[in-house]
Amino acid sequence: MKPISLVQIKPKAGTQAFFRWRQIGDDAILVTNLEGNWLILTEDEFTAYARGEVAPDSDLHGRLDEKNFLRASYDVQAASERVKARRYFVHGGPLLHVMVVTLRCNETCVYCHASRANMDAVHTDMTPEIARKAVDVALSSTNGFVTIEFQGGEPLVNFPVVKEIIEYATERNKEIKKRLEFTMVSNFALLTEEKLQYLLDNKVQLCTSIDGPEEVHNAQRKLPQTHNAYQAAARWIKRVNEAYIERGLDPSLYHVEALLTTTKKTLDYHEEVVDTYVKLGCNTIFLRPIDPFGFAERARLRLEYPRSKYLEFYRKSVDYMIELNKQGVQILERYAAIFLTKILRGEDPNFLDNRNPAGAGIGQIAYSYDGNIYSCDEGRMLAATGDETFKIGTVDSAYRQVVGHETVRAMAIATNLDQQPDCVNCAYNPYCGTNAAYNYKAQGSIFGRMRDNNVCAVHKGIQDYLFEKLAENDPETMQIFERWTTIRPREHFVQDPTQSED
Amino acid sequence: MSADQQTSIPDLPEALASANLGERSVSLNIDAELYPLQAVYGAAYIFIDRCYVFVDRPEAGKFRVTLAAKEGVEEVEALRSLVGEFANELISCAWRHQVTQDNRVAVETVTVQAIAGAMGEPSLDDLADFDFTDEALDDPLGIAQSWEEKHGRKEPKAEADAEAEGGASA
Repeated sequence: MKPISLVQIKPKAGTQAFFRWRQIGDDAILVTNLEGNWLILTEDEFTAYARGEVAPDSDLHGRLDEKNFLRASYDVQAASERVKARRYFVHGGPLLHVMVVTLRCNETCVYCHASRANMDAVHTDMTPEIARKAVDVALSSTNGFVTIEFQGGEPLVNFPVVKEIIEYATERNKEIKKRLEFTMVSNFALLTEEKLQYLLDNKVQLCTSIDGPEEVHNAQRKLPQTHNAYQAAARWIKRVNEAYIERGLDPSLYHVEALLTTTKKTLDYHEEVVDTYVKLGCNTIFLRPIDPFGFAERARLRLEYPRSKYLEFYRKSVDYMIELNKQGVQILERYAAIFLTKILRGEDPNFLDNRNPAGAGIGQIAYSYDGNIYSCDEGRMLAATGDETFKIGTVDSAYRQVVGHETVRAMAIATNLDQQPDCVNCAYNPYCGTNAAYNYKAQGSIFGRMRDNNVCAVHKGIQDYLFEKLAENDPETMQIFERWTTIRPREHFVQDPTQSED
Repeated sequence: MSADQQTSIPDLPEALASANLGERSVSLNIDAELYPLQAVYGAAYIFIDRCYVFVDRPEAGKFRVTLAAKEGVEEVEALRSLVGEFANELISCAWRHQVTQDNRVAVETVTVQAIAGAMGEPSLDDLADFDFTDEALDDPLGIAQSWEEKHGRKEPKAEADAEAEGGASA
């Protein structure tokens, strides 16, 4: 890409309202404004706009005016409504409550050491008493929506406490009447038909991990030699999806969601990864890069990669997914859907690691097996390595003390992009977010430095790709993107607080 | 510090930074007009897990930061990396200091809304426990007192009272 020259353009303040810009192609410059409206301009158009020389009767003037880019006609009311809609979550309170019911895990993943324990480490099981107290804190949230997410370790290892949480929370919610949901992140290897029926009866949304085709998945997620981690997950994905149909649920809406952790090995398998997900009946792939939490330094060298390599993988994968969609296959990339919802719809899907400010403490809380409470799941994983920086209380603490903790306040400030160098001037500011725990782990402070920050590189790279696609304006791709941003609520998973067990 | 092992750092001006291999340390001279002291503290703090960090003022208008590696730094190249990372962190802290001042109202407004939204309204018990005095903080060590208040000559009346108290207890 040949960079444009501001020396030649000679910008001067004049008719423009506040805007940020970023070149995304040889003749394509993205401009965004405070409230997140955007336009892609040619170099000539950008030159005219930057010089304040847009002819009032021109097509460009009309486009700029329509999107609130001109000072003389700037609609303050419309802008404030848009900002309010985008940041509706700010005063919402914690929605996601991650409950680590055990650290024990039956699998040994190459990228996960500190946040798991061997199967004989029964002391890392959450007790029923701690579980009930954790539910009490969660249901004290000011948010009318409460999602309890079971994590580990492997949550199926401590299934009695999973049941305790479900039954206690459901019972207490009859009085409190939140929109309560349960989700479970499991490798499925310990699932049985009896456990499955219990989870389905109690409307627990099931999510698993698939790290690519069988060879890649099994290389990264190791069960004892007699077992095959991929086959175990694949068998249960198929079975759970069948069970949803047996219960009369729409399979296009109700199916197992799976998560991918991209390691160095995954980078060579973009088509195979997508094909694997399609074959398993998963309509969504979340192409998550590896994060630095929980694995040892020597493993980092084996698994990590430059983010430029990840972004190449991302582009090839999503290009391939778009091609498959054009052939009628329904497959969606989660990162793209999150950003596109913000870009195309002006709404925020409230993905807690990618919002401004981020959700640590004010959008999510993590409850460790031992009763300690952390601002976020990453904070809990750091604690497993002996760093309690993100501990904000225990299950015996008063709810208001937990969410009003000074660490929560500091993280809300640190992830506010209006105080962040680089972000304040970045064209992607209205759609982006940063992660304080990641910044702390990778760069030593909760503020981080965006210029050499891996999360920033990934966010910028993905948005570059998406805006390049939007600039191309291929009608079929636009249709696919519209579909990716259509949120269909899954009401079945919401617990009915009026339902009685009697 | 052993001056005989003092050396320059490749690609960095000698007036700005120098290394001492024997001490596994590197020193940076920082222009106090370019960088606020808060930014120097902010950047220095990032390094305290890896280094012993010393900040001093060798002359008016200059700060000097010395980073002495706790372990694992044996070569000039590693010290160069340390000083380079510090310089980048310092720029980041200095600019964030400015950006935070510029956008303070917006940042504070969002933070207050977020925390208040998550905490909800206080209960009567919370209000009963709330400290409504305007005392900002307890100061048992007298840190917030001026030197004169703490150590200066006392008023004649206070001295007389002190003597009277001393006399009474003797």
